[in-house]
Amino acid sequence: MTTQFWALAVASTVVLAAAGLERWRSRRARRRAIGATSSPAEDPYILYFTGEGCTVCRTHQEPALAKLGDVRIDKVDAIANRELADRFHVYTLPTTVVMSIDGQALHVNYGYAPAPKLERQLAEARGTNDVRVTATA
Amino acid sequence: MDHSALKVNQTGIVATVLVAFLGSGLFRPLLVLIPLLAVVLLLGTVNPQLALFKQLYFKVLKPRGIVKPRPLKDRPEPHNFAQGLGGVFLAVSSVFLLPVPVVGLALALLVGVLAFVNLAFGYCLGCQIYFQLGKAGLIKASRSTGSSGTL
Repeated sequence: MTTQFWALAVASTVVLAAAGLERWRSRRARRRAIGATSSPAEDPYILYFTGEGCTVCRTHQEPALAKLGDVRIDKVDAIANRELADRFHVYTLPTTVVMSIDGQALHVNYGYAPAPKLERQLAEARGTNDVRVTATA
Repeated sequence: MDHSALKVNQTGIVATVLVAFLGSGLFRPLLVLIPLLAVVLLLGTVNPQLALFKQLYFKVLKPRGIVKPRPLKDRPEPHNFAQGLGGVFLAVSSVFLLPVPVVGLALALLVGVLAFVNLAFGYCLGCQIYFQLGKAGLIKASRSTGSSGTL
């Protein structure tokens, strides 16, 4: 079983290294995304990257976004807006980005994001804003 | 395409790797499952009719209602590429199994982990590599989207 143990250790190291790399890449994408949109916002909002041929966008993501109610959703054609899509490292459609009121990307969801997940992220974003308002008041 | 076939395929890969990995500690000949799995994956990539786990789904599990079909509009190429990549990694793993078993088992385990990640979380690393290679112009991969879709 010693062989199995060492094999497990090697595989775990590779997986952890890959996870760390992905985390770093994701953080860098968020940092670069700060100030990605110039539109002012009073409430956290969602950047929704989609494309003409994305079926899941129509069948799953858009109904999920519709469930969010009164939330600003900026729909972005990822093919037409390559620069913005590249800034968020969008390589999968749909991609949703939860933005804070100061235009900072707080959560980037690659692939379909269900409504409860987005609601949770929006709630977190509102919480973050509350803390900032409290801190600066 | 029927995503249940993909899920059955991934389950088969995870189960086989786990049996080979854990079982070989007690009964070393079980390591032969790894080269066998490599052959199954590579044959299935060349000819889908020879994909053992998918055929198990189409011929046994689906007709008997054990696994329900989940048809989604999607392109099979990225998934076939991912399967082929898994097969290649397992073939390399098989080469190392006898001289350096730690490396061989670690590679096989990584394939199992990636199949599990795809099964549980729907993240297909092989598909991402396929599209990135397509973007770099190294393989002919369409940038249009299927069910979920990748730029």
